[in-house]
Amino acid sequence: MIKNYLKIALKVLSRRKFFTFISLFGIGVTLMVLLVATALLDYVFAARTPEVHADRMLGVYRLTMQGPDDTETTQPGYAFLDRWVRPMTKLPSVERIAFVTEAQTAISYLNGRKIESAMRRADGEFWRVLDFDFLEGGPYTAADDEAGRFVAVINETTRERFFGGQPAVGKTIEADGQRFKVVGVVRDVPVLRYASSADLWVPVTTAKTSAYKEEWLGGFYALILARNHADLPQIKAEFQSRLREAEKHLPDPKTFKRLYAGADTLFEGAARLFLPGGRLEENPGARLRAALLALMLGFMLLPTINLVNINLSRILDRASEIGVRRAFGASSRTLVGQFLIENVVLTLIGAAIGLGLALGVLRAFNVSGLIPHTQFQLNFRIFFYGLAIAVFFGLFSGVYPAWRMSKLHPVQALRGRSA
Amino acid sequence: MTRHLLKLVWNRKRSNALMILEICVSFLVVFVVATLGLFFLDNYRLPLGFEWKNAWNVHVGLGRSEAGANPSGDFAAQQAVYARLLQEVRAMAPVEAVAGSWVVPFDQGGMSSTYDVNGRKVDMDADVVTVGFDKATGLDLVAGRWFEEADASQAWAPVVIDQDLARTVYGAADPVGKNLFDPRPGERPFRVVGVVRDFRKGGELMPNGNFIFRFASLDHPDGGPLRNLLIRVRPGTPAAFEEALVKRMQQVAPDWSFEVRPLPQVRATSFLFFLTPLIVAGTVAFFLLLMVGLGLIGVLWQNLLQRTREIGLRRAAGASRAAVHRQVLLEQIVLTSLGVLIGTLLVIQVPILHLIGVLSNRVLTAGLLAAMAAMYLLSVLCALYPSALASRVQPAEALRYE
Repeated sequence: MIKNYLKIALKVLSRRKFFTFISLFGIGVTLMVLLVATALLDYVFAARTPEVHADRMLGVYRLTMQGPDDTETTQPGYAFLDRWVRPMTKLPSVERIAFVTEAQTAISYLNGRKIESAMRRADGEFWRVLDFDFLEGGPYTAADDEAGRFVAVINETTRERFFGGQPAVGKTIEADGQRFKVVGVVRDVPVLRYASSADLWVPVTTAKTSAYKEEWLGGFYALILARNHADLPQIKAEFQSRLREAEKHLPDPKTFKRLYAGADTLFEGAARLFLPGGRLEENPGARLRAALLALMLGFMLLPTINLVNINLSRILDRASEIGVRRAFGASSRTLVGQFLIENVVLTLIGAAIGLGLALGVLRAFNVSGLIPHTQFQLNFRIFFYGLAIAVFFGLFSGVYPAWRMSKLHPVQALRGRSA
Repeated sequence: MTRHLLKLVWNRKRSNALMILEICVSFLVVFVVATLGLFFLDNYRLPLGFEWKNAWNVHVGLGRSEAGANPSGDFAAQQAVYARLLQEVRAMAPVEAVAGSWVVPFDQGGMSSTYDVNGRKVDMDADVVTVGFDKATGLDLVAGRWFEEADASQAWAPVVIDQDLARTVYGAADPVGKNLFDPRPGERPFRVVGVVRDFRKGGELMPNGNFIFRFASLDHPDGGPLRNLLIRVRPGTPAAFEEALVKRMQQVAPDWSFEVRPLPQVRATSFLFFLTPLIVAGTVAFFLLLMVGLGLIGVLWQNLLQRTREIGLRRAAGASRAAVHRQVLLEQIVLTSLGVLIGTLLVIQVPILHLIGVLSNRVLTAGLLAAMAAMYLLSVLCALYPSALASRVQPAEALRYE
């Protein structure tokens, strides 16, 4: 049965080439845009090096302090994290907790050439919460951090810039007027991985002053690695209750009275960062998901109307066929099914074209180097999403024309009239 | 004629409704992209109010975070170091002028304040600067004077405002020497000492807005040192000077970190920031329109095929080919007008409901006209080929057609 439908579908497609072309062009371009967007999101949020355990990792990326006059939102400060988040290591569901600063630009001058590197200060645990690809050497340890040793892990790009790609372990690198001994080199991490990406990682204790130890706001992230994905809700709840407790011990209770933050997944962290009002929510992830879905549907609106329009105008093409089938007793439900399948077949062919186009666009992105250290790829997961989107698009744009076709009156249809 | 056309359109309302909807949605897409582009273009024409060529910005990292929520540090000591920095940098040969500033021109970050002026709220962007800022950025003073170090010991706080703010608050009157608003209890009143030409800190792509300069004295630390140095270098200063500059500053303040960014570079980054979304949206919109265009050709063609007999009848009754041609095009124009009309009704809600405050009515109108023109052009172009086919129908053939 299905095989028969497929045969008819392909026959119809090859009958009017111009129509097939404009339909496929629309579907292909639409799915190309959606696939590129999906690949981008996947690149930012999915589990991959170094956030191999992204599914059981939470981060405290933003802290908002609110008072009667002022509201300040920025990264949490070391003092806040040290007092209220670090003790969570004792929870049985938490494996370990790492502290790392936001990336800052560090300037070096090498033979009169200026080099800007993104630098993060990270503790020893950072290297155990995340899983970097080491090309040579290894991470520094918690002991190095406590002793304030001037050691550094650099990425491939930094090795290329400073040492011309030669082995770098044991050599010295200067950044922002400080000198570090290189202990390890890792593969580049794309800048879109906002919790980990940098060109240069050095111990927290090498900061030029120790003022950061007193600060509630500014500079730091805490990364919490849970033992199991299932423990995340419980850890989030625990974090919220600690936040309520912290409100009773604010350093300047006159200016600021309320605290807002969350133990967020990478996706929720981005929502807290970019969604208006997200900083005050306990769980802004759901709203970002809804916003992305709305954006996708909004984008698909015009292509859908276009495809519906084209399909409807072709009813006449099929009128005699429909008339014969109705006359021989096919129910309208059967016909709706048949036309839907036809439309889905059409969108799947379009999706294949879209996939090809998306590959081209992503390759162009990679070659252009618009986003540093980024090599977009299409993986199985994105392919699956793309398939789901294509089927959805096919059904979405096929329902109305299929229903209209099935409503053709047999006598009228056999005479070759559409209305 | 028009009534007749409307009747023809009405008779095929079911299939036409979809086409009108498609035109309407396309119209909205074009409107959004065109308005955004025109908004930037409109702003770009206006004078900037300062000189960015040969100006460098140095961001000063104080080794502590910049959030005001942290316990205060030793402001007096930090301020002394900051004052020495200015002095040392000024003494370097390629430097023409240097000043301290809180915000960076062209940078996305900034400072804004809202004050009660004569009972209404006035929003303004703000900066806190030191004495030499007018020289370092090449500000154009149109009335009064710039800050002097002696201003710090007055009973009032000196401010310099830009023409926009002067117009907003004083209209045509001369603002120099007047208080900007009634002081809050316990605070010094803001007194205007000078007016500069419209200052657009956001850069060429951002709209004109109220701007106020507040004065930071180097002798009276108030909230700690500023975060940036603005340096005007002599034309032709090589980029290599940067290294010497940073070395000198590092000697003065070993605990601090310095990030030099020439303003042309900050400007390029800001252009990229604003124009990238426009380029992406424009590309996507272009492909959507191409898709809609091809779709319209297909649908019109198919529709006209169904009307072969009607057209044949008209031809048989003596209508010329040109008349048929005209009928098809006019019908399409009526359809487009209906789609555009619905779209326009939706779009004019924006100024009526004050949905987007920064868009002037001029930009909105221009965007509307651009979108209308694009839609008429698109739909007439798409109708040309199908209509040419239709007008070629032979009466005899058409009447036979089943």
